[in-house]
Amino acid sequence: MFKREFWRNFDFWLFGAVIFLCIFGLIMIRSSIAGNIELAGYVKRQAIFLAGGMGVLSVCAIIDYHYWKSLSKYFYIFTLLFLGVILVIGKTSFGAQRWLEVGLINIQPAEIAKIVIILVLANYFSSTEKKEKNIKWILLSFLIVAGIVAPIYLQPNLSTSIMLVVIWFSMLWISGLPPKYIVIFGVGGIILAIAAFPFLAEYQQERILTFINPDEGARHGNTYNVEQALITIGNGGLLGKGYGHGTQVQLRFLKVRSTDYIFSAMAEEFGFVGTVLIVALLIFVILRCVRAARVSNDMYGAMIAYGFATLIAFQTMVNIGVNLKVIPVTGQTLPFISYGGSSLVSLLLGIGLIESVLLHRKL
Amino acid sequence: MKSDRYVQSGLEKWRFRVIYALLGAVFLFYLVRLFSLQIINGEDYAAQAEENRISNISVATQRGNIYDRNGYVLAHNVASYNVVITPAYLPVDQGTTENIYRELSELIDVPVTNGKVTDETAKTFTECATEFGIKEIVLIGDTNAPYDSIKIKCNIDEETALVISEKGDSWPGVSIETEAVRSYPTGSLTANVIGFLGPITAENEEYYTNLGFVAGRDKVGFAGVEYSLDEILLGTNGKRVVEVDAAGKETKDVEPPIDPIPGNSVKLTIDTRLQSAALTALTDEMNFWNTWLNRIQSQNGVVIAMNPKTGEILAMVSYPSYENNRMERFIPAYYYNQLSQDPLKPLLNHAVSAQHPPGSVYKMVAAIGALNEGVITPEKEIPCPGTITVIQKYSENDPGTPREYVSYDRNGHGMCNFVKGVALSDDVYFYKIGGGFENDVPDGGLGVWRAKEYAEALGYGRLTGIELPGEVEGLVPDPDWKRINKTENWSTGDTYITTIGQGYVLTTPLQVLQSFAILANDGKYMQPTIVKEILDSEGNVIQEFEPKLVWDITKDPLIDVLDENNNPTGEKKVVESWVVDMAQEGMRQVVTVGTAAEIFKDFEIPTAGKTGTAEYCDDVAQEKNLCQPEAWPAHAWYVGYAPYDDPEIVVVAFVYNGNEGASVAAPIVKRVMEAYFDLKKIDSTGGYINE
Repeated sequence: MFKREFWRNFDFWLFGAVIFLCIFGLIMIRSSIAGNIELAGYVKRQAIFLAGGMGVLSVCAIIDYHYWKSLSKYFYIFTLLFLGVILVIGKTSFGAQRWLEVGLINIQPAEIAKIVIILVLANYFSSTEKKEKNIKWILLSFLIVAGIVAPIYLQPNLSTSIMLVVIWFSMLWISGLPPKYIVIFGVGGIILAIAAFPFLAEYQQERILTFINPDEGARHGNTYNVEQALITIGNGGLLGKGYGHGTQVQLRFLKVRSTDYIFSAMAEEFGFVGTVLIVALLIFVILRCVRAARVSNDMYGAMIAYGFATLIAFQTMVNIGVNLKVIPVTGQTLPFISYGGSSLVSLLLGIGLIESVLLHRKL
Repeated sequence: MKSDRYVQSGLEKWRFRVIYALLGAVFLFYLVRLFSLQIINGEDYAAQAEENRISNISVATQRGNIYDRNGYVLAHNVASYNVVITPAYLPVDQGTTENIYRELSELIDVPVTNGKVTDETAKTFTECATEFGIKEIVLIGDTNAPYDSIKIKCNIDEETALVISEKGDSWPGVSIETEAVRSYPTGSLTANVIGFLGPITAENEEYYTNLGFVAGRDKVGFAGVEYSLDEILLGTNGKRVVEVDAAGKETKDVEPPIDPIPGNSVKLTIDTRLQSAALTALTDEMNFWNTWLNRIQSQNGVVIAMNPKTGEILAMVSYPSYENNRMERFIPAYYYNQLSQDPLKPLLNHAVSAQHPPGSVYKMVAAIGALNEGVITPEKEIPCPGTITVIQKYSENDPGTPREYVSYDRNGHGMCNFVKGVALSDDVYFYKIGGGFENDVPDGGLGVWRAKEYAEALGYGRLTGIELPGEVEGLVPDPDWKRINKTENWSTGDTYITTIGQGYVLTTPLQVLQSFAILANDGKYMQPTIVKEILDSEGNVIQEFEPKLVWDITKDPLIDVLDENNNPTGEKKVVESWVVDMAQEGMRQVVTVGTAAEIFKDFEIPTAGKTGTAEYCDDVAQEKNLCQPEAWPAHAWYVGYAPYDDPEIVVVAFVYNGNEGASVAAPIVKRVMEAYFDLKKIDSTGGYINE
């Protein structure tokens, strides 16, 4: 297993890019603390999670991913139970029951749900590879997703719910969804979105409405954070204010700058050139993940790699979109860069699985 | 078919191409958006970021003080203590904070919690004037700017302030703020001269903002010398450009700070002791008559004392006054409304802003005019009966109607010459010289047009230019004025009554004083002033007092020589100095044998003066139905100066509806003169009276 032959298939480009992004993330988090004592421990914490995440990545890469296939069923049941527990006794944080304290570490069930849904769907789509792609095939996959999305939506966590649905649809697409259903789903989706709006929680409705029709006068209102983000990005200019010298970041006009708005912080301190380079690197990571899906020599591995590629791509697009004020505010972080232990570990776990797909190809 | 799928995974290629296209489209769109934000609109956003970061702080300056002529403080800034809380520095622990609130609440008598903060109530919140409890005030402060202190209670006593400041570190976030407020130690005694401060209003906001003042914080003069000398007193605010963080906390100076320049101080010509004596004299006299008559006869009046040789105003009392100390922090609406609706108009400085008929004190105009124009010689004696009948004409060819004009003394005074006419204030003597009478004073006497020349030479009908706001011009009427304003021709009778200061003539007490100061000072009109010196903030004199001669009626040709149609010939002449001497002689006899002789009989220092009893019928009198024919109400006037040979002080007393000048106004003037000479004695002996 540890022969040179084995490591030949390891994607060092992917691994290198991810490491670079994670270290860049640590650097950016350090800057975004901006003298706030309450955030002072963030860099150290994130570094510990990064180290732990690297361990997870290595273990996942070494273990043959086929091993997980048989465990999918148990993962699924465990996740459902876990989400159920959260709903009952979960700790309310920032208005949402998204965390569960396990010992000293807060485990974010949404992160587990993302991984599990990819593994379970990969199992489903690879098992049904040869079957007819009919409505029953689609509905069955949807039911699998719905079981996990429902409790998450009830937490409430709209953005993760949307993300899970997107992952499902993306995987459905690549495994051969007949184009005629796209039209049906498209029309159905729009009708569903409009019909569902009245049932959304007040803060969710508010965020969407604020995005569509911002209240100009409200400095302390919902538009404040995103307006400050735009000013922060614009202030960066071509080459940026320099590391640790962005006034919007350092004087804390930019809020939630180590997580949701770390993109803006980066744009102010490193400018257009620096930001484009980092985004290019993120795209490179996404494309390397897609490549892994293409070159995988079985459907199961391909679907795992593709699922994680979707996860990283969607999260990147949503986060940058919020920062650039082209989509409504959600709580999505920028992959590998934003502060957040659970998220980082689960992303590295995904990269580990992709490396495993590449390493355990049967040539 | 094989080529449409990837060899290893067997996935369809075209499905990947769709995904690539989607990714490409999204990221291309993001690239364009990022380019637009950072490169195209970068400067706009950079400007907004700069606006976030930079805060211009105006550092409040100190307004100059106002002193009286002896250096006694009339207006200054005193420390006032406010309890403030800086929300960001309060203890993190809720329980500790609650304990602080409870203890503080007991000390300053503000409830821990009261009312509810909503968008609506938060908008109307004003520091120092709120019903909210401590918690609510802190909540508002915490929401707006957690690093800025917010006032919990204003103007607490020094003792409580000390107790709170001693709590120091055990009460983090709670502190005592010292604020300068304007205080007027002499209060209502000098309020009409000193005035008070108020906020920068919408109308003058631009003016003051350009000078670097901050609307809503800095205060400016609203009345009195606080208003008229505002530019001298204001000073200049300092300026700091600082960098602030999102919580409003200063991080550093961006530019070198500019320190504020304190305003200059002003030393007035007022002697507070004399001011106090004048007020007491006025109110005592009014009270005496109100008690004596057992009805409210007079409630307001004016006393002004001036040095005729320098124009320095030594005392200026306008009664009733108001309590300017109540305006020290803000102008209380109910008090201000009460003052402005008071029919006695306490907010007005009646010495310069009220105009009334002068009555007999105005006779000095005709007196000097008639002598100087040769209408009569001082020696010529004419009959002064109790009444005369003259033909009332409205035009040259009007056949006229006979009308009787009466003297205040219906028995008449027999034969009068000039000095006797002045001394006894004989109305008929003045009717005759003013408007002519048969062969006693032929050719229509002095006439209204020539009289006006002399009235103006004595300063009537124009602003004196004293450094006080709201001065009015008074009125010296003439036929043109009447035609325009009353749409009626000037009648011969108008000339008669104008001569004795009745009819349309209006004067301010200061103008009356000024006209006598000119005569007392041998014809020299000295600029009346209230400002003695201007001092810098360290007390060094930067502008010394210098008496200013406006004109000398015996040297400056001010009198237009008129032709037979009363048009100016272009020639001008002076008032002969012997005419001024004769006027002085007449005024001297007023106090020796004339109308004020009784009052001044035991006054040691020789004085001179003139009484006035001015009948009036204004809207107040009409409302009370006082304007009965032959028995109009009257204002009491008296002007006097002393010592007669070398005058140092000229005093006017005016009592609204005081009735008789001799008995009501003259005693006031006498008491002010007594006080003046007593004070002079005290000052010359270093504060001790050596009897």
